[in-house]
Amino acid sequence: MYQPDPGSFRDPASHVVHEGGRVLRLLDERGLRGWEALSSSEFFAEATAAGKLIPAHRVDFEGSEAAAAIEHPVVPFVSYPYEWTFSMLKDAALLQLDLLDRALRAGLTIKDATPFNIQFVDGRPQFIDVGSFEAYEPGEPWIGYRQFTRQFLFPLMLHAWAGVAYQPWLRGDMEGPTAADMRRLLSLGRRLKPAAMMHVSLQARMEERMSGASVRQELKSAGFSAELILANVAKLQRLVSSLEWDGTGHGWVEYESCSHVERDRETKGGFLEGAIERHGPRRVLDLGANDGYFSEIARRHGALAVAVDGDEQVLDALYRRGTTVSLALGDLTNPSPAQGWAGVERPSLFQRARPDLVIAYGLIHHLIYTASIPPTTVIDWLASFGCPVLVEFVSPEDPMVARLTANKTSAELHPGRTAPEFESILGARFETLGRVELGGGVRALYEVAPLNR
Amino acid sequence: MIFGYLDAGSGSLILQAVLGGAAGIAVAFKAWKARLMGKEAMAEAEAPAESDDQAVPTET
Repeated sequence: MYQPDPGSFRDPASHVVHEGGRVLRLLDERGLRGWEALSSSEFFAEATAAGKLIPAHRVDFEGSEAAAAIEHPVVPFVSYPYEWTFSMLKDAALLQLDLLDRALRAGLTIKDATPFNIQFVDGRPQFIDVGSFEAYEPGEPWIGYRQFTRQFLFPLMLHAWAGVAYQPWLRGDMEGPTAADMRRLLSLGRRLKPAAMMHVSLQARMEERMSGASVRQELKSAGFSAELILANVAKLQRLVSSLEWDGTGHGWVEYESCSHVERDRETKGGFLEGAIERHGPRRVLDLGANDGYFSEIARRHGALAVAVDGDEQVLDALYRRGTTVSLALGDLTNPSPAQGWAGVERPSLFQRARPDLVIAYGLIHHLIYTASIPPTTVIDWLASFGCPVLVEFVSPEDPMVARLTANKTSAELHPGRTAPEFESILGARFETLGRVELGGGVRALYEVAPLNR
Repeated sequence: MIFGYLDAGSGSLILQAVLGGAAGIAVAFKAWKARLMGKEAMAEAEAPAESDDQAVPTET
């Protein structure tokens, strides 16, 4: 029996189901026609070969009234645009435009333009909604243009031109800022740039004046053609390519980022490799992954690695280096929750991560000392993953802790911060499998597994 | 204007033609005019009903 994917339901022509670990897309008659137009095109062969479009092939399927079923490979880790760094969203936008350009030249079109149709696979964006393609009807305008501006272009402009992070916005409103919002948010200088005048000011004005009207037929009769879309797409490609982020306004994390001590890296790496050999994890979650050093060790051992960090600059740099580690920008004290329709359409970050092993290096002292989360709560949280954890303990004598607590009295700090207290809390929830001291005795690594697994 | 699940936004559709360049501006203008003429035709169709009412004397 198959389960419908809770995030795929809006288009009656095509929706995703899961059956026994396989990902299938069920099509109705209209969806089938779109699939046949797509799969018989050279565009499809080239785009899948280049890794830009998810592979797909027709399969037999019983158990529903669908006209046809196609199968896709499973995307190992699903992430959402509010978890993407600037360069990730920019590359996703360029992929969308590139595919639309090639599709139109092949007599096809893409119905919509949303980053939720794109996933990162092996460090590169890949378009995964095969159901979005259909034959292009001559005279038809680009229906997805407005959505493209709201979900790709305007968020990128927020970062690049207003120095404002778009992730909090997209997490709160997945539809993205409107042209009218952008008109209010951009400075006068920016608004006068030709691109802003067209896509922001002019679009906002026309939306106000023409709401509720139907113009598709008039456009077709007036001679609208694919050439006009292609010209627009080419301009958008130049515009998006030109958007650069200088790292300002990366507003997820207020607390200072920890400059990780290089001298212990080898020990920590070796400790991780030992744990990987012992537990053989397929999915590793690296909490506070920073530059991804440890995630990449996990990758080298053939595991999926999900790196979560609240520092966009560091994560963006990791992405641009071409890592195959899966990335998610997130504040660990407020990670992406389950949201969307019925609260299930877009599962939470940790629901999607589903790790077999968790790395918590250089993390918990930030949670305890900067975010004021009691050690017992932090350990409970680590236990909730239900798998082995590698946790780095930092004692109050460490100079980093001294810096973090410089302006706090001990009455303001929670109990459980010393090594014996910490081990006692740990022992209530975990079995300790290994321990290694670091940094001159003020830090230690623990390999632990949950009790009663 | 809704296409499937996606509200394409009529203003955005007309704008696309403009963004397509010089050829597109001509298209946009023609489409805009056609829409305006469509609205005028609809308004005229409703007018005769009003003048009938006014011919009927009303009591004060």
